Amino acid sequence: MVKVVEVSDSSQQKTLRGHEAPVLSVSFDPKDEFLASASCDGSFVVWNIEEQTQVVSWPLLQKTNDVSNAKSLCRLAFQPAAGKLLAVPVETKVHLYERGSWTLVSSLSDDLFTQPINVVAWSPCGQFLAAGSVGGLLAVWDVNSKLCVERQKHEKGFTVCSLAWHPSGSQLAYTDTEGCLGLLDGLSTSSTAAVPASKTKPAKDYDDLFDEDDGGHMDEGLSDTISPLKKPVAAEDDDDDDDFLIPSTGRVRNRGAILADENSMDTGSLKLGQDRFRDDDDDDDDAGSTVAPDAAPLAPLRPVYEGPLPTPPQKAFQPGSTPAHLTHRFMTWNSVGIVRGYNDEQDNAIDVEFHDTAVHHAMHLTNSLGHTVADLSQEAVLLACPSTQELASKLQCLHFSSWDTNKEWMVDLPKGEDVKALCLGQGWAAVATSTMVLRLFSIGGVQRELFSLPGPVVCVAGHGEQLLIVYHRATGFDGEQALGVQLLQFGRRKRQLISGEPLPLSHRSYLSWLGFTAEGTPCYVDSDGVVRMLNRSLGNTWTPVCNTRETCKSKSDHYWVVGVHENPQQLRCIPCKGSRYPPTLPRPAVAILPFKLPLCQTSTEKGQMEEQYWRSVLFHNHYNFLSSNGYEVSEDAKTESQKEQQELLMKMFALSCKLDREFRCVELADLMTQNVVTLAIRYASRSRRMVLAQRLSEIALEKANQIQEEEPEEQEEEPDYCSVRRTSGCSGGQSSIRHNQQEEEEEEVEVEEEDGGEKEMEEAVETKRRVNPFAKEADAPVMPSLTPLGKAGRANPFKVSGSGKPTSSSGQPRVTNILDSMTSSRKSAPLSGSAGRSNKNPVLKPLVPRSKTKTQSTLLQMTGTTAAQKKTPENPEPAADQQKPAAVPPSNSPAENTENKRPKTGFQLWLEENRKNITADNPDLDEADVIKDAMGRFRTLSAEERLSWTERAKGQSGDAAAEMKKRKRADGGGDNETAQADENNAKKKKPLDPSSKLSAFAFNKN
Amino acid sequence: MDPSEVEFLAEKEFVKIIPNFSLNMIHLIGGDLGPFNPGLPVDVPVWLALNLKQRQKCRIIPPDWMDVEKLEEMRELERRENAFTPVPSPYYMELTKLLLNHASDNIPKADEIRTLVKDIWDTRIAKLRLSADSFISQQEAHAQLDNLTLMEINTVREFLLDSLNCMYKLRSNLQPGSRKGQFTDH
Repeated sequence: MVKVVEVSDSSQQKTLRGHEAPVLSVSFDPKDEFLASASCDGSFVVWNIEEQTQVVSWPLLQKTNDVSNAKSLCRLAFQPAAGKLLAVPVETKVHLYERGSWTLVSSLSDDLFTQPINVVAWSPCGQFLAAGSVGGLLAVWDVNSKLCVERQKHEKGFTVCSLAWHPSGSQLAYTDTEGCLGLLDGLSTSSTAAVPASKTKPAKDYDDLFDEDDGGHMDEGLSDTISPLKKPVAAEDDDDDDDFLIPSTGRVRNRGAILADENSMDTGSLKLGQDRFRDDDDDDDDAGSTVAPDAAPLAPLRPVYEGPLPTPPQKAFQPGSTPAHLTHRFMTWNSVGIVRGYNDEQDNAIDVEFHDTAVHHAMHLTNSLGHTVADLSQEAVLLACPSTQELASKLQCLHFSSWDTNKEWMVDLPKGEDVKALCLGQGWAAVATSTMVLRLFSIGGVQRELFSLPGPVVCVAGHGEQLLIVYHRATGFDGEQALGVQLLQFGRRKRQLISGEPLPLSHRSYLSWLGFTAEGTPCYVDSDGVVRMLNRSLGNTWTPVCNTRETCKSKSDHYWVVGVHENPQQLRCIPCKGSRYPPTLPRPAVAILPFKLPLCQTSTEKGQMEEQYWRSVLFHNHYNFLSSNGYEVSEDAKTESQKEQQELLMKMFALSCKLDREFRCVELADLMTQNVVTLAIRYASRSRRMVLAQRLSEIALEKANQIQEEEPEEQEEEPDYCSVRRTSGCSGGQSSIRHNQQEEEEEEVEVEEEDGGEKEMEEAVETKRRVNPFAKEADAPVMPSLTPLGKAGRANPFKVSGSGKPTSSSGQPRVTNILDSMTSSRKSAPLSGSAGRSNKNPVLKPLVPRSKTKTQSTLLQMTGTTAAQKKTPENPEPAADQQKPAAVPPSNSPAENTENKRPKTGFQLWLEENRKNITADNPDLDEADVIKDAMGRFRTLSAEERLSWTERAKGQSGDAAAEMKKRKRADGGGDNETAQADENNAKKKKPLDPSSKLSAFAFNKN
Repeated sequence: MDPSEVEFLAEKEFVKIIPNFSLNMIHLIGGDLGPFNPGLPVDVPVWLALNLKQRQKCRIIPPDWMDVEKLEEMRELERRENAFTPVPSPYYMELTKLLLNHASDNIPKADEIRTLVKDIWDTRIAKLRLSADSFISQQEAHAQLDNLTLMEINTVREFLLDSLNCMYKLRSNLQPGSRKGQFTDH
């Protein structure tokens, strides 16, 4: 049923009955005689309004039961003015019916229409008919010639649901079902403008132009595509003129264009870039037409271009800001504070608030200049506004940390230059402008360097002396942005660290945050929520460290990043429910996300550890960067991180060992530091993987050699040992001093190597009471064994710090240096002692943490003992020997021999003094028993007495050690033969030897 | 037990604050607090939060349940059910009072929340009175009341016990020796 109502007074109401289903559309005939309607029942009917009768009815359409199910909206339309024709969209064609006779005059169609036509619309002049289809296709026909003069495809292929011509006929507006409004412009101008051509002046000019140029200036963007074919086309044009005898030249042009189009199709593919380039040229000639921006790079009458489309370049933004069109917005939110902008009716103001009120109190500024961008640092607030017609773009800086009374300065930018992005560093400010220039200012307002950027700026960020710039490198296609990045370093040594490399972004995303971590590593976030961080140790590559979208609960939730910290590893961001940006009210709370490298199989134990390891490596890169830039670096944190990494490596090693992946083990060992490798060797030998142990020992040796080679060279080359670097390379004496200092500093830190060593020494002192008999034995000339080597190996609990040093004084471990001998012997004693009774010792720390820092000692002790134990079958006693007096031939057990070399302990001294008493008391005792007895007696002494003895022993030890050393060297020849413990140990111990001396120094001092 | 004592206990509850100062971790008998980073939320006991708030050293983030929608839902549930419904926090009343009195500027819709919590409280207390009444009138030996908070128990305890004792005395005077032990102290 269709009802017709007189709008003015609703007096005349006509009802047209006949449709059996919902009516899809109606259209008045311009003379108000008829009314056409289309309905879901599949018919379209022309009514006589006056008589309220059906004039004609065609069952042409598809039947549906409801409007929502109808495939096509079937918006029919009468030709305006005369109303001679009625256009009805039927499937993929448009039927034209003649008024009055209601006969099918013709039907317009186009090959491109594969889906039903939704709407038709007549141009105001009635000569052109536009149609929009379900697939998003738009076409314009010339009704007289029945030729399609223009085709256009909707960018996203949404269904076109309405069309409307501009009254002048030069533009066509359309809407789609996704709620977008589009305008077809320029492309249709020439064809439509041609319609009223005969009447309007500009059109005539046009015609003249055309005549002169012989068809050279056809539709913009089109002529170029056929440029190689210009001549023939022109010729055809002329022919057409004759053939068709159409009065208006404009129409001829269209006709020509069609032919041209055919030609161009023949010639093959069209280059988009060319088109655009030529478009510009044509614009010069054809000022009346405008070329749609990159969104519609198509020439009329040409098949729709289906290739990659250029992406609109993203606009410049400030990191941590919400869009400028909001009335209440964050102008910036960073680790220092928040700048909020209010821009509503009653107020235009800026609020500056600091997270830490100790920096500065909150500020409230009136924003009379209309600042749109802001940045905030510990020193200043930087604001900038775009230029207006009268005023130039201004840069305002509130330098609140200034010590004079002028806390503010302002700079006008040159005319025509707008601030696009800005940032603050330490003592400087950088401003990127619309003229692709980057201007540097000092924080006090002095203009400094300026330089040109390779492209329109997207974002800048500053930290300390580093400046990070992201700009448009080129035009991106298919939703991708083509961004480039520059990283500059100011300060004393000004240089460019990254020079215009492409910035990797996720697929079809744009940059959403740019900045530095609190520690100064460049970092950015793209609109897909992927956080990437610069990996300076891998040639300045960008590593994805987190995907914030993974933690989002729903698809429309986002995290708005406000800061990144490497230590502790925190990604500070604001969760936004259902949006990309947080509102200013209620005040959002910061949440912390952990980082997670997107490694494979992080659900497995292996994957987890690998992820942890590499994350740890990545997030501790900044130590090297900072120290290489002369910043103070906390050694504690650094060693801590190294410890963590080595620990993870060891765990992975153990895991792969368990899985029988020996090759993988070796690979892992390659990543370890030398002292951890030794631990790995121990692990391997314990789990009876001798092949593995063998290979590992090769690695260990290699590493040791490497260190030795690198040491004498410049120190900066080896970041791992940079803690040592500063003091290393000097004589043993100096480094020992450093050790002492370190010891004092680090006493509290349990895991520190020195500390561990010290404790060991204390333990050792105790243990010596028991084992010291060997000290006496030392006098005996026997002692073959691997001792010197083994000892040296054992002796380096200070390995981590010391490993690099020794080589400076000695390439060969065995030096005649007296310090050397002292330390090695001194050191080995306590350690071997503790090894002997390690299980009893309550002070002994858990193995793993210690292993990181002073693995060498523990490890080697253990290997020593294991070696000894292996021999047990041949030698019934050795295990016992370790603690028992050595009536046993010393050659049996290497472990034992090592003990012999130990310097004298308190008990030894005491024994020497009291030996006679004992022998006098019990003349029939043999050596072993004497010692046993002596030990018993010594124990009965008071604690003070014992302490005094040990003190004395310490004093003497130096000399004793020196003596022993000499003796050892004399025995050196025998070492190799008798060394029964596997060679590996010996090998790897060798290079380590010298380091022990340092520790000994430390000990002596105490 | 004094209501102020209950409140004292409530002050041990944890609440999130955003400090505007930086301080390393502080070690207290009750546990370690911090570290405090300006702008980063951190959990602290209510007593510390209020103290810092009064010195304008922090912003308090209201607990999750202190939200108009959730409280409205709770109120409806409380009114619908005959029994006591579980409360979001064992100290909801005290926390509401403390936070709203001292940090109402950090809590959106503070007045509405105050009203809602008061409504919930009133409903619950009314239920409590009602059940006490029926308990006494039916002369039951025992009753089970779930989901009561300390503050609620505390409000009725004194009166209920006193009146029960009193009634016991009266009854035992009326019928000496007969119904001993009917009412027990709570």
